[in-house]
Amino acid sequence: MTKTRKVAISVVALVAIHLVIFFAGFVAPYSPAEQNRDHPFAPPTRIHFVDSRGQLHFRPFVYRWLAREDGFGEYEEARDHEYPIHLLVEGCDYKIGGLLKSNVHLLGVEAPARIFLAGTDGYGRDLLSRTLYGGQISLAAGLLATLISLTVGLLIGCISGFYGSWVDESAMRLVELFLVLPWLYLLLAVRSFLPLQISPVQTFFLLIAVIGTIGWARPARLVRGIVLSAKSRTYVMASRSFGASDLHILRRHVLPHTYGVLLTQAALLVPQYVIAEVTLSFLGLGVNEPVPSWGNLLATLQQYNVLTSCWWMLAPAVALVIASLGYLGVANAIHERLQSGSI
Amino acid sequence: MRRWGCRVALLIACGHVCLAASPQPVLRSEQLLISDQPAGSYGGTLVLAQRSEPKTLNPVLAADAPSREVIGRLNADLIHINRQTQATEPALAKSWSVSKDGRVFLVKLRKGLRFSDGHSFDADDVVFSFHVYLDENVHSPQRDLLVVGGKPIEVQKVDQYTIRFALSQPYAAAERIFDSLAMLPRHLLEQPYREGKFAQVWSLTTAPNQMAGMGPFSVKQYLPGQKIVLERNPYYWKIDQRGNRLPYLDELVFLFVGNEDAQVIRFQAGETDAINRLGADSYRLLSKAAQADGTEVFDLGPSLEYDFLLFNLNDLMNQDSISVKQTWFQDVRFRQAVSAGIDRDSIVKLVYAGHGEALWGNVSPSNKLWVDQSIPHPPQSLDHARELLKTAGFSWRGENQLVDRQGRLVEFSIITSTSNAQRTKMATLIQDDLSKLGMNVHVVPLEFRALLARVFQTHDYEASIMALGGGDADPNPEMNVWLSSGGTHLWHLGESTPATDWEARIDTLMQKQMVQLNYKERKRLYDQVQEIIAANAPFVFLATPNVLVAAKKTLGNFQPAILDPNILWNVDQLYYLSENGVRAGGRP
Amino acid sequence: MRYLERRLVHGLLLLIGASLLCFAFSALAPGNFFDEMKLNPQISPATIAALRSQYGLDQPLPVRYTNWVGSVIRGEWGYSFAYNCPVRSLLWVRACNTLLLTVLATVLVWLIAVPWGMWTAHRHGQWDDRITSACTSILIAIPELVVALVFLAWAVRTHALPAGGMTSANADAFGGGARLRDVARHLVIPVTTLVLASLPILLRHVRASMVEVLEAPFIQAARAHGIAGFRLLFRYALPAAANPLSSLFGFSVAGLLSGSLLVEVITGWPGLGPLLLEASMARDVYVVVGSVMASTLLMILGSIVADVLLVTLDPRIRVT
Repeated sequence: MTKTRKVAISVVALVAIHLVIFFAGFVAPYSPAEQNRDHPFAPPTRIHFVDSRGQLHFRPFVYRWLAREDGFGEYEEARDHEYPIHLLVEGCDYKIGGLLKSNVHLLGVEAPARIFLAGTDGYGRDLLSRTLYGGQISLAAGLLATLISLTVGLLIGCISGFYGSWVDESAMRLVELFLVLPWLYLLLAVRSFLPLQISPVQTFFLLIAVIGTIGWARPARLVRGIVLSAKSRTYVMASRSFGASDLHILRRHVLPHTYGVLLTQAALLVPQYVIAEVTLSFLGLGVNEPVPSWGNLLATLQQYNVLTSCWWMLAPAVALVIASLGYLGVANAIHERLQSGSI
Repeated sequence: MRRWGCRVALLIACGHVCLAASPQPVLRSEQLLISDQPAGSYGGTLVLAQRSEPKTLNPVLAADAPSREVIGRLNADLIHINRQTQATEPALAKSWSVSKDGRVFLVKLRKGLRFSDGHSFDADDVVFSFHVYLDENVHSPQRDLLVVGGKPIEVQKVDQYTIRFALSQPYAAAERIFDSLAMLPRHLLEQPYREGKFAQVWSLTTAPNQMAGMGPFSVKQYLPGQKIVLERNPYYWKIDQRGNRLPYLDELVFLFVGNEDAQVIRFQAGETDAINRLGADSYRLLSKAAQADGTEVFDLGPSLEYDFLLFNLNDLMNQDSISVKQTWFQDVRFRQAVSAGIDRDSIVKLVYAGHGEALWGNVSPSNKLWVDQSIPHPPQSLDHARELLKTAGFSWRGENQLVDRQGRLVEFSIITSTSNAQRTKMATLIQDDLSKLGMNVHVVPLEFRALLARVFQTHDYEASIMALGGGDADPNPEMNVWLSSGGTHLWHLGESTPATDWEARIDTLMQKQMVQLNYKERKRLYDQVQEIIAANAPFVFLATPNVLVAAKKTLGNFQPAILDPNILWNVDQLYYLSENGVRAGGRP
Repeated sequence: MRYLERRLVHGLLLLIGASLLCFAFSALAPGNFFDEMKLNPQISPATIAALRSQYGLDQPLPVRYTNWVGSVIRGEWGYSFAYNCPVRSLLWVRACNTLLLTVLATVLVWLIAVPWGMWTAHRHGQWDDRITSACTSILIAIPELVVALVFLAWAVRTHALPAGGMTSANADAFGGGARLRDVARHLVIPVTTLVLASLPILLRHVRASMVEVLEAPFIQAARAHGIAGFRLLFRYALPAAANPLSSLFGFSVAGLLSGSLLVEVITGWPGLGPLLLEASMARDVYVVVGSVMASTLLMILGSIVADVLLVTLDPRIRVT
């Protein structure tokens, strides 16, 4: 497979994942805030083709979950009535991209049955819907925050490595300061200065700003190391002797060496930043109820009893893994593509 | 020759160890307390896990729960509240008499008692202890307990085993003040106290031989960040029915594990023997495995705590947006409508997994002595809530959006602590309930101390979900919540005079019940207080969690109680059951 | 020598700057240590205020900072409100426990990641490279917390390993060899979690930079000369690829005290992590400042190590 084709495939896969998340309103069977208080922590609905009488159905169907009386939080299927799964059903209203209004959903079953493909959380809210909607904020925030921290890190790393001497020293001391400080208190102070009610949009930008501001230090140091090495190569010296400006040298000769590190970091940082939201929500800076995000969905997984009894709560982690695999694939493919063109 | 020498040395070492920890023979001169519980057998180590590390072993200065849990096993008090009967009983005091006006206590100590290092205990130690607690330069958090009617309690030594206490005014259930006030050893602490170094004594790193107490255990070893090991106090002043000196256990070990999940993990792995105050989900997890692995879980019924939704009714200087909303909060019909609109059953079911009870007043149903049964317990009624809102001048417009008289949309935020997932859950459920009434509620989780700063200092919040209570069944410890001048009068702090009539009435009633010595009269007064609180809803009461504990089946005399310390209150009587009556072994 | 002197002076400046900023941040954060007592109806606000002033919390920031510097010079490193003792005695034992954990984990991570990363770069595009890629992606996306909890759940179910802590409850009765084995058994879960947390990142970086170097002309020339296998990888390719690795190694050293916080809290390892977490939440300011100072010292060390490694390993860098 040629390198260009690899890039194409990875990009297509990533775009597919993002499309599904963008159209979460359509793909998700329910609204993310809809509580079913009779079904907290219900396991995923089982899809059947053969019913209890041994008959084969062409259309897959589900049974209702009934909570067991002994109150141990367990459920059993009510085998009295089969509820077939329909495509393109009418359900709750939603907006795609904040503009396009619709109420058609990809899947659905007739009330009072519910189709919980990934189970429910502690309030009985459908986890699949929450995971899909959650991806919207998390992926966007993760991507943008990565972009910011890599850009700032690249800038500072380049300048620091290229110009050396006191510029380098002060920049590196700044990097060390950033890495060592207890951001906890500053973030708490930031939260206390903000108004009480922050809308999800504002939280989104806040998250990006916070993570991007703190996260540039590592990439900066890595880039600086590479730049230090690249700037004393013979062809750089030759280029300089031909009268090339600093900017030209940086752009054409030094920058290509940083791509490897930058792409690796990009693929690593996106999932890390999504997970960082878990810590930030502990400080009151995360996305608030009832809006889902992968960070606050993963936060419930931190309880031991949830982890051991409710395996379906790992759904957002699975979604994050799939997205990370997508990003890694694209980063690798781009890296390889650039490899053959550089050095 | 060498082998014999080693064996002898080993024997001496063992003997020394055994002697140090085994109970001293009972002397005739000692006036000991005879326990009324079934007798048990000696031996064994009880291992427990704590959620965070104790910070100090100084009984005068300790304020955090883990420290108090350990300190409570090392020290004893004069008059003790029996956690099961919730009544007072003699402890270090053999008996006491109260004057007719309830102000003067004459306390007679047991004779012949000794501290854990063998030094004798008498009235000088008691007088010294109270002197330290009352010293304004020491700043003990317990000093305020001993200040009644604005004046500190007077302590006077009558003779070597008798002390006279005088309060400046009669105080209901005054003997309950003495509970958990540790009696300090004068022979060890007087000198550091006189030198002004009291704050540094009995920290965790103090050598065990410099500490002594009257409790069932004394400190043996402390490993920072890991555990603290307590060993039997050989001079403890209680004996069982057979005349054996308590405690039965050889050692008590507290492991520091960090959080509730870690506690559950260790208990499941068999590394700890009992676990206190489980959350509902952990309880379910452990009860599933209960019979199989030799452990037992207990649901003791509702605790004394109460969770509530609180509205900001403070006088605000410069926060206009909140002042606007306060016009809604200050209308009692608004608060009653919110109370009517909340689905308490869902809160109990989803937050406490059914192990809790809904509340409509500040006294939990398990507090049988003080709960007012006549307070109404209406189920959720959105219609009733809408009626109340209508009479208060609210109306609906558009797609079920509530607006006030001036046409402003009703929208407010509820702050909760991020360290407590349960209250955030309650807030989310309430958010959903109130949205059916057309109110737009935001749930704002904040870090715990940031929340405290807003509630107590800046008053920059609109509503909050918090919890109080649980200390004692008696109403007096909670005075400062209901008195308008009290420091925990959360909805309106810093009132110089009561802001509303009903708060003024509560003030009068609470002051009256504080000095009323007759229980029936006191109950009548306190019932009225409860009714006023329920009717005016400064707190919208939500629910109370049940007390859930678990322990290994081999633990004998295990009698968990609702009052804190739930499982360790009778640690001196806990023992290990064995198969055939042979002395129970320690841990493998 | 001059270089080292300069770095040490910078280090001192960094320590001072970090301490100043730490104080400033902690003053900005809402709430203070004694706030929790306000929820107790039995403690009056007057007592709480008196305690605050006893510990100097109502004094202005510069005064508090000067007092703290004085305390540092005396060797106490400040005073803990919660424990009522000097910070240094609190930090020392726990720092040693943490270092035991992190040094072991760091050594393991580097010993595993470097050869494995080089091997997958060598086998670029083959099936074992792809599997490694997929595994590292999965590990990166799963939060550290979840990994630690899953391990503990397994330990509880199978009783194969202790469920946390550093020593067993009855470890005092053990002899020397048994004690060592006991600590080793307790080390397994936290060390494995730490290794699994940092391994994928390091592996990715090693692989990425080795892949770049392996396509360079000088490697092809070496191959043409008949040099192959381990010699090619270790002696020729690795030094050229070591650039980002030196920086990462510097980060590893810098993170020796702070990187294991979460794992220590979950597994109950008696290190700096639980102490720092509780102190941060409780606003026990001087403990936090003390820990930050300790981490800064390690950061300075890590930074110097990284820069020295950069220069020695990569001959193309000339330090100006």
